[in-house]
Amino acid sequence: MHVAIVTTYPPGKGTLNEYAFHFVRALRAKEEISRITLLVDALPDGAPYPAPAQAAGQAELCITPCWQFNDPRNAWRIVQAVRQAQPDVVLFNIQFASFGDKKTSVALGLMAPWLVRLAGFPSMVLLHNIMETVDLRNAGYAGNAAIEWVMRTAGAITTRMLLNADLVALTIPKYVEILRAKYRAKNVLLAPHGSFEDNPPMPTFELPPGPRQIMAFGKFGTYKRIEIMVEALRILEARGYTNLEVVIAGSDSPNAKGYLDEMRARYADVPNLRFTGYVAEEDVPRIFQSATVTVFPYTSTTGSSGVLHQAGSYGCAVALPNIGDFAEVITEEGYVGEFFEPNDPETLADAIAALLDNDERRREMGLRNYRASCGLPIADVLDWYLLHFSALIEKHHRQPTRRARNAEAAQPVTELATPATKP
Amino acid sequence: MSTTMTQLSPQVILAPIAGRFDAHQVPKVQKEIDAALANGANTVIMDLSEVNFVDSSALAVMVRTMKHCRERNGELILCGVRQPVRIIFDLTRMDKAFRIFDDLVAARASVGV
Repeated sequence: MHVAIVTTYPPGKGTLNEYAFHFVRALRAKEEISRITLLVDALPDGAPYPAPAQAAGQAELCITPCWQFNDPRNAWRIVQAVRQAQPDVVLFNIQFASFGDKKTSVALGLMAPWLVRLAGFPSMVLLHNIMETVDLRNAGYAGNAAIEWVMRTAGAITTRMLLNADLVALTIPKYVEILRAKYRAKNVLLAPHGSFEDNPPMPTFELPPGPRQIMAFGKFGTYKRIEIMVEALRILEARGYTNLEVVIAGSDSPNAKGYLDEMRARYADVPNLRFTGYVAEEDVPRIFQSATVTVFPYTSTTGSSGVLHQAGSYGCAVALPNIGDFAEVITEEGYVGEFFEPNDPETLADAIAALLDNDERRREMGLRNYRASCGLPIADVLDWYLLHFSALIEKHHRQPTRRARNAEAAQPVTELATPATKP
Repeated sequence: MSTTMTQLSPQVILAPIAGRFDAHQVPKVQKEIDAALANGANTVIMDLSEVNFVDSSALAVMVRTMKHCRERNGELILCGVRQPVRIIFDLTRMDKAFRIFDDLVAARASVGV
């Protein structure tokens, strides 16, 4: 089976690149897969993607940059790239802001799954968030109620376009229920997020020497904001806690360029605030394993959290905002954390203090999160996808599509006209 | 939760499962099914009439078992699926992938054992 995946991918820094990396790594190991074509966003200045390594038993991997953040022509360019690659099925690993932060680019980009289907290729969308559960104002996408209304209306139209794909997979049961109820969608399904590591080694739960690190990981500036962490640090120091360091691991969200530079300047007087910049894949374990507490400084959430799954696989104790999606992930996948109220540094300081004060609690929480992360590896989730891919391919073979009809029309006349028997 | 595999024919085994089919029970069920398949079986009938809950790891076992059975030219057959489990199948669209029969009698008849 030849699968094309429209996605971001490292070293590209767009959202969901990390998820794509682990998804593709596991997919390449599946014997059903002969080839994967990644249809990715172009790197800055047209830099080439590194050639993928090829190990024995792995599916061939081809990386084709064919779209760009905020380019209104993305859908058209993706369809052209799909026609060129001729895959058996096309998967979109996306969220609502994958193709841009300008409304036109977003709307046009999200037409791609529908257009790919119209071009005759089975299309499936893995949609990491839905408009109905995103707090647009807190997430930084809408400045006032009027803009929010316009965005929600546009979001509903865009969602209907996305639902024109053959299948739409969502990572949270509530999302499936919402789309089925609101849009009467029959082609949506639950596909759990899955943990990145197949068999992550048991963490030691030991911390490195030096200051106790309070770490946040991700792409910052929209709904992931670090101000609350700095405020909580100040509160903790005022309470007498010493030897603390706030570590901001990651870079700006593509939707909030310049945010971390602004924070660096604003908090220049905070000596124990450290910015790591973009974290390369090989440095990720060290970053998580060095943290006493991993904080999710979110004002809103836009879907299941890959960072939470990563934190779990490294046995991290976590401080989580009291927001619906996280509570749901925790309940259903076995994660635990200390909760704080979004935008309230006092409660974040309390949550961090609970883990600083009780090392046994920190280790126990890390162990539970580790076990939760082992529950359903992404490799197992991929078996579900393969089932859906096979069903889609079979369905498309049963129902001749425009592509099949075009291909048939392109056959030599003699082949088409050969009768079964002669009179 | 409990399972006791029964060999219905050289190719067909019956896996009756009861209670919560979740991450705590998955390793045992997977181990027993893998052993039966390694011994020459190629079709598994999973009787879920006494199961009141399945989680994603149990679904993963079913998908994996179906894959292994098909590799051996066999099939995974489910029967006796109760409403709470049916809801999960519907949510994941696994009801479209699995062969599901109302009860064990119908499931056994489908493979002639």
